[in-house]
Amino acid sequence: MRIPNIPLSFVTRHGSKAWPLGLTGAGMLIIGSLLSWSYDAQVLGNLSISFNPGGLQRLAIALALFAVVFLLASKGPLVRLGQWADTALGLRALATWTLLFMTLVVVAITVEAGGLINVQPGGWVSFLGAMVLFAASRLVMPTETRDLAEAVLPGWVEILVIVVIMAGLLFGAAYALSLDDAWAFVLFLVFVTGMAVAATRAGLLSWLGHVTARHKRVLILASFAVAFTFPLTQGGSDANMSIASQVLVFAAAAMGLNIVVGLAGLLDLGYIAFLGAGAYVGAALSTSGFATIGWKPPFIVVVLVAGCFSATLGLIIGSPTLRVNGDYLAIVTLGFGEIFRLTMFNLDGNNGPDLTHGPNGIPAIPDLSFGSFNFGDTHVLLGIPLARFSNYYFLLLLLMAFIIMVFHRLNTSRIGRGWVAIREDEKAAEAMGVNIFGLKILAFVIGAFLAGMAGAIKAHQDVSVTPDQYIFLESAFLLAAIVLGGMGTIVGVLVGAVILKLLPEKLRFFADYRLLLFGLLLVLMMRFRPEGLVASRRRQLEFHEEDEELAIRAEGDIAEKVQA
Amino acid sequence: MTATAAASTAGSSTNVPLLQADGVTMRFGGLTAVNNVSMTVNEGEILGLIGPNGAGKTTFFNCLTGLYKPTEGQVRLAGVDLPPKPRAVVRAGMARTFQNIRLFANMTALENVMVGRYCRTSSGALTSILHGPKFRREEKETRTRAQELLDFVGLGDSTEHLARNMPYGNQRRLEIARALATDPKLVLLDEPTAGMNPLETRQASDLIFKIRDTGLAVVVIEHDMRFIFGVCDRVLCLVRGETLVEGTPEEVQSDPRVIEAYIGTATDEDDADKAEAGAGHNSDAGKGSAANDAEDS
Amino acid sequence: MDTFIQQLINGLSLGSLYALIAVGYTVVYGILQLINFAHGEVFMIGAFGALTTSLVLFNGNTALWTLPVMIIGAVVASVTTAVLMERFAYRPLRNAPRLAPLITAIGVSVFLQELVRLNYNKVPFTSWNPFNLPDAKSRIPFPQIDVVTGPAIQVGGVTIQRAAIFTIGALVICSALLWYFINRTKMGRGMQAVSQDADTARLMGINVDRIIVVAFALGAVLAAVAGVAQGLQNNNIDFRMGFLAGLKAFTAAVIGGIGNVEGAVLGGLVLGVTEAMATQYIPGQFGGGPWKDVWAFVLLILVLVFRPQGLLGAKEVDRA
Repeated sequence: MRIPNIPLSFVTRHGSKAWPLGLTGAGMLIIGSLLSWSYDAQVLGNLSISFNPGGLQRLAIALALFAVVFLLASKGPLVRLGQWADTALGLRALATWTLLFMTLVVVAITVEAGGLINVQPGGWVSFLGAMVLFAASRLVMPTETRDLAEAVLPGWVEILVIVVIMAGLLFGAAYALSLDDAWAFVLFLVFVTGMAVAATRAGLLSWLGHVTARHKRVLILASFAVAFTFPLTQGGSDANMSIASQVLVFAAAAMGLNIVVGLAGLLDLGYIAFLGAGAYVGAALSTSGFATIGWKPPFIVVVLVAGCFSATLGLIIGSPTLRVNGDYLAIVTLGFGEIFRLTMFNLDGNNGPDLTHGPNGIPAIPDLSFGSFNFGDTHVLLGIPLARFSNYYFLLLLLMAFIIMVFHRLNTSRIGRGWVAIREDEKAAEAMGVNIFGLKILAFVIGAFLAGMAGAIKAHQDVSVTPDQYIFLESAFLLAAIVLGGMGTIVGVLVGAVILKLLPEKLRFFADYRLLLFGLLLVLMMRFRPEGLVASRRRQLEFHEEDEELAIRAEGDIAEKVQA
Repeated sequence: MTATAAASTAGSSTNVPLLQADGVTMRFGGLTAVNNVSMTVNEGEILGLIGPNGAGKTTFFNCLTGLYKPTEGQVRLAGVDLPPKPRAVVRAGMARTFQNIRLFANMTALENVMVGRYCRTSSGALTSILHGPKFRREEKETRTRAQELLDFVGLGDSTEHLARNMPYGNQRRLEIARALATDPKLVLLDEPTAGMNPLETRQASDLIFKIRDTGLAVVVIEHDMRFIFGVCDRVLCLVRGETLVEGTPEEVQSDPRVIEAYIGTATDEDDADKAEAGAGHNSDAGKGSAANDAEDS
Repeated sequence: MDTFIQQLINGLSLGSLYALIAVGYTVVYGILQLINFAHGEVFMIGAFGALTTSLVLFNGNTALWTLPVMIIGAVVASVTTAVLMERFAYRPLRNAPRLAPLITAIGVSVFLQELVRLNYNKVPFTSWNPFNLPDAKSRIPFPQIDVVTGPAIQVGGVTIQRAAIFTIGALVICSALLWYFINRTKMGRGMQAVSQDADTARLMGINVDRIIVVAFALGAVLAAVAGVAQGLQNNNIDFRMGFLAGLKAFTAAVIGGIGNVEGAVLGGLVLGVTEAMATQYIPGQFGGGPWKDVWAFVLLILVLVFRPQGLLGAKEVDRA
């Protein structure tokens, strides 16, 4: 989103008008949002009642208030904030996205209600307000700011900030899932992106990075508290929990693959096969009437067997290929993914022993139960009924926590350093005594093991296991989640997984173009932002070898991680 | 010849052989890059390896460190045969630097040195994931040792700098620190002063003495004759893949064959000094030339 | 004995197809060290190009004289795709870490498949279908050209499909032309120079960018011919056909020694014959058609273990 700048002479001449103009724009935006936006009450939730703002109108007000904060920080009571944050850049980004938001609102009302006539005066006032704000933001002069790493607030305030942001995430996620209307969902995404971009431009996000580095434990606790509370916000509805638990399986697999791709730098294109192997083990050892193996161990054993089975497959595939040129790995894993699918397809009793029932797969896998706790039943917690998918959600959350822990601890260990060294210069690493082959195979096997565990749970959650769930495209999707989010990062991959799994659920109207856009997305990401949305500093440097400035900026961040 | 040179000849070298290379030969297809070269390095000794461009010095280095498997001959470190695997060689106690610096560019100085500790630590995946007591102890030791080594080579202040952001001379030092982190008995330095100014070169020779004084043996490849003759206890001259002369700096310096190898023919003993200067010049001119590249590969 | 010869011929015709595609992988890899995953899609688009040509220009006429025109249509479609792909997807990533172009290649592959699936019979985002083309979401029958398809030929106890003769013949002709191009033309020698050392070649005045485009185009020409051959052999084509064929062809390139053009041809034939023989001679439940793809990959893994440089590849020397 880059808009050509206005000539500097013009800005200096009219710079003083930016402040009142901006406040006027924000005011108009708020007043307009309090009025009715649309004649048709059926569109975008209900935006037709004056002085009772609907969801999207509240979002517009929030955008306006954020803009006011920026304005008051450049001149006014919040000027101390302005010394730290780059208010001019933040305001520019915010105003741009606000204008986009309001434009889309007008377009959405026009398209959905049939005609521009359906936009009420309130909508126009807000739209004009956004335009005025946009104009004002172009006139704001950037100011010198101080290094945000030095901005330290009292400990409890910083913790409070983390908690508030986490709570915001929770309600944001719950709200997003409750939006059935595709337009409203897109507008919400625009809102979130706009806020995030503005915060990034203003430097608030990097400040948040420093804060979270100081309060790591609080952050981790808060994140999991939020994740655990999420089902309680659904008021007993299991529909969204079904999506949420699918997102979690996907994210868990992506995080496992992230160890292989993001940390060790090995391109595994058949990763879904390891998830599938785990799922088939889970199914074959379950008490389903169609299960093919007589042994019925407790589930915890099944999970471990599934993990070990996948890891063994990983070892078989990895040991010949990891010794040779790395490019071969991609194609051999791709081939392995196909072999796996074909094998599961073929083992139907006609073309080999009947282990998988071929294309029909293993259906009717019963729900898990630990003691008297059956995952199929609805349980009541704090007066809120939690049904089947909520139960799986909690279990998957534990798995996710485990995988994240494995990822993080490996990353910050001797082994993680070895992986980085191999990525940087394999020959030099070897000459320094790093066990290249051993470390590569370790990454490969750990990745496979984790996927196997996730697969065993997935089998129960999905009720049936069939070969066509484990096709190449699924592997490509997992890879895309990593690329989109940011290789080698935890937050990035979570974001990537959520986006890739949630968008198709919510935007069904583009279902047909889903894969087309997905392919395009991979190409464009590699071209313009190969390090992903949330970049690991080191990865960013690897993808931008020439960028000396970036290297200087990144230095502090990387050193901070090393010292931690 | 400076005062430091005099000190070095009186240095602490003993006559216990540490590294023994016997009849090392390396052929690439029809080309014999190294032909029947033998070399002995004693404990606490600084040995210089010189020779014109394309003489096979780096190839010989690669044979010693296991990067190449020599066509013939064997290498023994402290009486044990070295297998031609870089990792095994490092574990046995021989570490190296590279002619064209090969640091881990996007890692900090500290991390680079910590990677050097890899082969002397053994925390596996499980203890790393569980943060077991062994992991914590090793991690702490690794960090302390890495910091010590950075201080030792004079980079104590640059701990948090990314390798790619460091000035050239410091990158050379960092590479030496990384090699020292593997707890070697012997370090091989491949052109440690290439591209350095006279001040940096002097600092480099001080560092090499300092390393020797900790009880390690050092092998140095260099083009800069002044540097080599000032630092080394013994010098080996390779020409066209074969040993031409081996002896003390004085012997090698005055050997007419060496002079001939470097500047063609020498008619007069008095030309020795000029030859030396000429050789130093030659090293600069030869950088990046085709012959040099061929030797790298 | 008849069954053996029969399988040998089946294998050779299948292998010729792999070989034609494999050349594209190996030429690009030889120059850029890039695995162009999307090359399978170039092959698929070649087949669709031929089909389109036939439908639009000849309206169901299957006379032999239409075949060369169809091949030209296929070549135009494939080469255009490959050149655009190189220009817009790969060229900007020339100096990026190796992971980047590999991921791009997957993106391109998915994108092209979907483009054909969704937009073959309509102008994008409309329902306008000027030439009344069929829907590409399912298999489309491929025109059965007279003489080249017709009833199979019987020689003793061996059945030879006419399309198989076409495929093997196409490989022979293409190989000969390719050999001539690489060894006897200025452009071909430039290509060899670039694959040896791109930087030096550039200093010697060779336009490396152009050589790279030519390499992509060259692979695309052979892939287009393979696309036509596949259509004639199988009687139908679909948007998915590039995936497995591409995978197999890459396998063939690795078996022959990637980067080596003769190796790609040999590898393709070896792979094809192996598959055919595996179907016939591996006893028990694991023989037969359903497992032949599995055996092909087992062969790949065996080659990687015992001869990673491939049948005709030279051993790489480590650099320090």
